[in-house]
Amino acid sequence: MKNIFLAFMLFTAIISAQEKYTVSGTIMDSSNGETLFGASVFLEGTTIGVTTNEYGFYSITAPKGNYNIIISYIGFTELKKELTLDRDHKIDFEIMEFSTQLDEIVLTAEEPERAILRKPEMSVSKLNINTVKQMPVVLGELDIIKSLQMLPGVTNNGEGSSGFHVRGGAADQNLVLLDEAIIYNTSHLLGFFSVFNADAIKDIKLYKGGIPARFGGRTSSVLDVRQKDGNSKNFAMTGGLGIISSRLALEGPMFKEKGSFLIAGRGSYAHLLLKAAGEDNSANFYDLNLKTNYNLNGSNQLFLSGYFGRDAFELGESFNSSYGNLSGNLRWNHIFNDRLFSNLSLIYSKYDYDLGIVIEEFDWISSINNYNIKYDLKYYTSEKFKLDFGASGIYYDFDPGQIRPTSETSEINPLSLDRKKAFESALYINAEQKLTDRLTVQYGLRYSTFSRMGGQAMTDYVDDKPVVYNPLLGIYERGTAVGETPYGKSETIKTFGNFEPRVSLAYQLNDLSSIKAGYSRAAQYIHLLSNTTSVTPLDVWTPSGEFVKPQLSDQFALGYFRNFYDKMYSLEVEAYYKTTDNRIDYIDGSDLIGTNNIETEILNGESRAYGLEFLARKNEGKFTGWFSYTLAKSEQRTPGGNAGGLGINDGKWYNTAYDRTHDFSLTGAYELNGKWSFGTNLVFQTGRPVTYPNGQYTYEDLSIASYSDRNSDRLPAYHRLDISATYKPNRKPNNRWKGEWVLGLYNVYNHKNAASISFGQNVDTGANEATRTAIFGIVPSVTYNFKF
Amino acid sequence: MKTYITLAIISILISFSSCTDVIDVEVQTAPSRLTIEASLDWEKGTLGNEQTIKLSTSTPYFGDHSNSGVTGASVIVTNNDNGATYVFDDQNNGEYTTTSFVPVLNGTYTLEVIYNSETYTATEKLTSVVDISDLTQSRKKGFNDEDLEVNVIFTDPEEEENYYLFKFKERGDLLPYLEDADDEFVNGNEISWYFEKEEDDSTDKIEAFVPGDIIDIEFYGISEQYSNFIRILIEQSGGTGLFSSTPVPLKGNCINVDNPENFAYGYFRLTEMVKKSYTFQ
Repeated sequence: MKNIFLAFMLFTAIISAQEKYTVSGTIMDSSNGETLFGASVFLEGTTIGVTTNEYGFYSITAPKGNYNIIISYIGFTELKKELTLDRDHKIDFEIMEFSTQLDEIVLTAEEPERAILRKPEMSVSKLNINTVKQMPVVLGELDIIKSLQMLPGVTNNGEGSSGFHVRGGAADQNLVLLDEAIIYNTSHLLGFFSVFNADAIKDIKLYKGGIPARFGGRTSSVLDVRQKDGNSKNFAMTGGLGIISSRLALEGPMFKEKGSFLIAGRGSYAHLLLKAAGEDNSANFYDLNLKTNYNLNGSNQLFLSGYFGRDAFELGESFNSSYGNLSGNLRWNHIFNDRLFSNLSLIYSKYDYDLGIVIEEFDWISSINNYNIKYDLKYYTSEKFKLDFGASGIYYDFDPGQIRPTSETSEINPLSLDRKKAFESALYINAEQKLTDRLTVQYGLRYSTFSRMGGQAMTDYVDDKPVVYNPLLGIYERGTAVGETPYGKSETIKTFGNFEPRVSLAYQLNDLSSIKAGYSRAAQYIHLLSNTTSVTPLDVWTPSGEFVKPQLSDQFALGYFRNFYDKMYSLEVEAYYKTTDNRIDYIDGSDLIGTNNIETEILNGESRAYGLEFLARKNEGKFTGWFSYTLAKSEQRTPGGNAGGLGINDGKWYNTAYDRTHDFSLTGAYELNGKWSFGTNLVFQTGRPVTYPNGQYTYEDLSIASYSDRNSDRLPAYHRLDISATYKPNRKPNNRWKGEWVLGLYNVYNHKNAASISFGQNVDTGANEATRTAIFGIVPSVTYNFKF
Repeated sequence: MKTYITLAIISILISFSSCTDVIDVEVQTAPSRLTIEASLDWEKGTLGNEQTIKLSTSTPYFGDHSNSGVTGASVIVTNNDNGATYVFDDQNNGEYTTTSFVPVLNGTYTLEVIYNSETYTATEKLTSVVDISDLTQSRKKGFNDEDLEVNVIFTDPEEEENYYLFKFKERGDLLPYLEDADDEFVNGNEISWYFEKEEDDSTDKIEAFVPGDIIDIEFYGISEQYSNFIRILIEQSGGTGLFSSTPVPLKGNCINVDNPENFAYGYFRLTEMVKKSYTFQ
């Protein structure tokens, strides 16, 4: 493999060995020294250009000559510089943000989030943190995950549920990275807040398809969130005071401006108020983001980042629970030369929970740990050819659950489920090649392997069937264990390997429009076990092995992109079709809690999803915003397979719990004047598929519901309107303190959106009734944000 | 004990979800099916000769449930080990009774119901149960440490897997409460199973126990297969919220041999059981 890389590089180097020179460097924000990811750098009057990578690095190679180099980025003034290319240059540029230039906002000159026509990158949603800040929020806290749900192809699973769904995929099929560390649970307080503190975040990029070969391990999407590096010019403080929670971030230069730091924290204190009000139950969360970097010299830079977040619940004296993510990452950027950029990362991440059942005197704990090493290189071969390649390895340690009695008198016996260990590795290479001035292609290959490691015994079943169909009763039952096969620590239980090709192309029809197409295959080796309607923080991850096969997905996408009226408006239309093999589902009556042998509760199936997405944006002017609409279908099928029988739902296709036929949203921001601005969200989506009763019968003097086919009914449609107003008081020009008040109203017309509908008997009359649970009615909020 | 874990998850959500209300919902209506409630329960210390089997048909979910009793069926139970047959007589109200049944612990029995010219059969073993060693009351256990609860105390046999069913009904209440248990995490231990009625703040429909209240307790030993059935039934009859499992069509052990698609709801169970009542002090 290595030789191929070398030959490739050598070859491309030779053909480009004319009179060409390279200019490379870093693009930064002039106010704070933050590097800018995705800034566009190009040579005026040519089609030669690049966008900066995650570390703000760019490299452009062009024939000898005089050029104007233009640097642009969302929310920043375009910078134009003359450049005489008669030798290799290393130039760092600093560009200026609008709002810091003057107090008034000049909106017309802003580089907006318009459709990017030339790059083959498609199915990507990039949200700038400033855009997120204009959107109305629930409970006064910016929420990146909720903002993403305003874009086409992204939905939630109803209020009060953790996680999100991309293009009809499950919540566990999203790879969520915070500074490259895997985050296993993206929400605080069961989905009320996201784990991302907007003050510490620089960029958010969601790949819904066309996932670059450097990412892997999940079949549906990659959410790549990058933390700020910290202000390298001067000390700064930002924060916000809200009713439920508050936050504070400090940043500044270190090591004589060779480095910087950022430390940001958030905490909620609603529990204190609840306690003060005599409430026994309480919920709270806090989190902490840390980042620091040190520039050793022009071509070596070190980054250290960390995240720690925790949620805690207390239900009187009966139950308590706490859970959270922890991650740390040490990175080394090394620039070999003006065309070869590299990054080495050492990453640790962990998710764990602890559920205390006080009344029965025991604790239930579970965790997933992973250690990850990654080496990524980017080679800017020529102006027409760029190459990414690298390797990664992840070691997983799963602790699916332990029961610990908390007292001598507890009736509960201690129990430890088998720990599971696995190693996932990958090699990838990806090329971006400009074939003609109009046609650019990107093609790559990822090869991933996954080994389930020994150190535990595996149960053997009669006929190798962990689940058996009982044809007499017409139900699936747990298979009969006949013994165990022990595996030593150095042994491997099962190994998988998959080639994952990724191809996409962009064809520019004219200056205003382009079409793009893509295909990608992805493998997923770890799975979240959840047979509840909604994903909960207490669900457990499990690795692939003998009975749980890796999920494999293939996605095809086709898109049309167009800018209108001098780029004031843009339109993006995409269609996708996605299939996933080996998607597990749970047999009727499955029991996942405290179950050592998960294979006795599941069947392997498949899923498919397809849809059409529209996104129309108004990018400039006093009013900006977007309208998004998705028409989609997401289904799965779970045949009996080895277990026999027709399968779940008689082997027929059924809706996944996250199928949404229509998903419509409108997001707008209006800048009235320098003092007042307003934001609004309008959301309408088809109700979530659920299973309702289709009859009742009497048993044990109770009315028992008989339920219809899996997910064959739907909750009522979900809709809501939010508004917000931001007021920036006058201040003296020299005053560094900037404050603003944000007033928000979530669910303005107080629509009781059903999070669930439950069926049962009225205890007085015995009549059957349907009870709706709605989580948020109208929620007002006030937050004071400040910057110093 | 898994119940507690599920319960904890559900209650975490419920306590922070602000609002529940009863609404009108349109549901599908499946074709009507025969329901067989064949619970042959042998109360400890009795002969167990008097037994009743109830037959009815399923009805639309919302609406009148009365008058669904089935008459004109033939109901026979056979002891597979000695071939003795027990014919249950049609009482013309959906009930079929016998006074000659002979229960045998661990004996295997077969039920045969003929209704509308289709034959339904089921086979099950009679499962034994240990005695209740004590009934106590306390306030400390349960969700609310101020409310009264009754504790059913018994010792789980260590050498076997045991499955239990409890039926609690306060005198004067319309509906009983069913709870299921197994010894997975508590094998061989002395178990104290509490039952508490949690006050429903929003409706005032359910009131916690107060001194003087009488509760009737039934404690059954059940088979593993029936435990799988009743567990799902209990889960689903308690309502299906956000964090409960997706509800499933529930199939019992009564098979239609002529037309397997047209299976019957309900179950043919044989249990040993203990009946007690307790008056709160």
